[in-house]
Amino acid sequence: MDSSRRQFLGAIGQVTIGAAATVAGANSASATTGSTTDGKGASGPHWGMVVDLRKCIGCQACTVACIMENAVPEDAFRTHVSVYEVVKEGRDPAMVMLPRLCNHCDEPPCVEVCPVQATYKQEGTGEVLVDASRCVGCAYCVQACPYDARFINHETQTADKCTFCVHRTEAGLLPACVETCVGGARIFGDLNDPESTVSRLLASNEVSVLRPEMHTDPNVYYIGLDEALDGRVAGEAAYKPPLTTSLEHHGEGR
Amino acid sequence: MQIHELVGAVHEAAWLPWAVQYFFLIGMSTTALFLSFPAFVLGRASSLPHARLALITAVTTGISGPVALLADLHQPGRFWEFFVYTHATSWMAWGSWIVMSYVTLLLLYAWAVNRPAFYRWGQDDWRFAWIFRFLAFGSPANGFARIIGIGAGVAALGILTYTGMEVAVVYSRPLWHTPLLPLQFAATGAVGALGVMLVLGRLFATGRVVEARMNRMLALALVIVGIIGALWFAVALSGISESHTEALASVAGFTVWQRIALWAAAAIIIPLVIAVVAPSRSGWITGLIAIHAAWMFRWTVFMGGQAVPKVGSGLYDALMPTGLEGLMGVIGTFGLWIFLLILYTTFVPWAEAEVPDDGSTSSAAPQSARTV
Ligand code: SF4
Ligand code: SF4
Repeated sequence: MDSSRRQFLGAIGQVTIGAAATVAGANSASATTGSTTDGKGASGPHWGMVVDLRKCIGCQACTVACIMENAVPEDAFRTHVSVYEVVKEGRDPAMVMLPRLCNHCDEPPCVEVCPVQATYKQEGTGEVLVDASRCVGCAYCVQACPYDARFINHETQTADKCTFCVHRTEAGLLPACVETCVGGARIFGDLNDPESTVSRLLASNEVSVLRPEMHTDPNVYYIGLDEALDGRVAGEAAYKPPLTTSLEHHGEGR
Repeated sequence: MQIHELVGAVHEAAWLPWAVQYFFLIGMSTTALFLSFPAFVLGRASSLPHARLALITAVTTGISGPVALLADLHQPGRFWEFFVYTHATSWMAWGSWIVMSYVTLLLLYAWAVNRPAFYRWGQDDWRFAWIFRFLAFGSPANGFARIIGIGAGVAALGILTYTGMEVAVVYSRPLWHTPLLPLQFAATGAVGALGVMLVLGRLFATGRVVEARMNRMLALALVIVGIIGALWFAVALSGISESHTEALASVAGFTVWQRIALWAAAAIIIPLVIAVVAPSRSGWITGLIAIHAAWMFRWTVFMGGQAVPKVGSGLYDALMPTGLEGLMGVIGTFGLWIFLLILYTTFVPWAEAEVPDDGSTSSAAPQSARTV
């Protein structure tokens, strides 16, 4: 089962990544040259992502590319695209996409709870990473992350999450999800560099972050994010486990 | 506005039922320890019968709890890292030191309390006398039991604080993020401990007077649990704390949670009424309901809390265990605990434990009453 799905997705992944490379390359000039030695000033680059929701078509190419690039186990995601149908008063239903990933927060609650300092924020570039050789798999960080961005990888039995593809950025490449994004909705780059594409997008657009009330100071920004979706989305769920299925509309008041 | 989630990720519970077992057992252990103090630390002989039961409870749960904790780690072989790479900002890191101190002091305290009886059993001429001679270390003196007890009490306060805070600081889960949680863990821990003591009292026929006394203490603990629960609801409904209000809103609409609320209310009120109306004849029933109430509170907090999505909609299915695998932690730790109970009550002269003799009192040495 496992390997056959892998092989199947493997074929798709190669095609998709190959086809998308030029798009992403054209799209974010600064990021393609964004190796750790390439930043502006003494402080070096500070990585961040802008997700332009106007361009996301919910194709899940990023979801697949991430799984392929990072050998994410079958029952988990480092990134995925949530899809919602939003019906506003007097308007037609609209499909809304929301790519989710670790926000590489500047105030990450996951880091301070780790009992053995296995998860840490990379000096300078700012990725929040897990040292899998030290992680005891206590899952405290999984509880503390307000974005459900972490999980326990049952193949390594340690905490796992998006790394902003640190192994790629260190080699001067873009993260796999950015590279593969069909619509060019994911833009990655140096937030310290005012000339980078991400910085210019932040300067020229109204952007928001997920769950600002958690004061985590995310480094993933969204253009065109509906307020109703920036927190816990109190809607009708796609997945209904037994005992909650009997509910028609569960009347969450938010 | 209406929102329907069409594609979303389901997150499994990362803290498994083992964690529920740990918090359940350690909560009972620490509160039972305090219930042993009137006799063994404060020297009140009239409290001996229930203090002996409390000590059995404290020791057996105090050993099986940390075993469950270890099993909840996905890398149990790396537990030593807790002590080498201690991260000062993490309550869990402090917890590892506190748990270690607590278990050590608890076992020392239990040993000191039972030392005179170990000594007596070692003096008799019988098959296992050599074991007890070894355990007594050549003397029946145990005046130091009180000071060790106080040390264990300080560590127990540490446990109650850290277990509560460890969970309460997780602001990403509004259901956990309440300053009332440490108090709830302590109060429901006492309910569970008294439940175990009532059942043990029945098993070892400690008599109606002791049973009535423990039932009255149970009633008090249940009232306290009820008051804290009511306070939580009042805060959530009043809107003075956004996080409490959000916690209630995230679950109130689900029938499964409405049933849990009714169940919890029943688990407080039913044993409370029975304990007040028939305190000297109801130990089995109040005891078993109390144990169940303490366990169910933790199951609801941990598994129920993890069933609430942080960003997605609806509920995940952590609340109900799926298959035998999820229940193995529960079955395994209960099995270990019951095994320890049998071992302890068979091989430790618990019924002969007296008020520690610090030289100020001179009581006649009681007769040995071996059970093995
Ligand atoms: S999104 Fe979650 S896992 Fe990522 S840095 Fe923030 S708190 Fe940590
Ligand atoms: S699961 Fe690993 S990284 Fe997460 S808090 Fe525990 S030890 Fe740290």
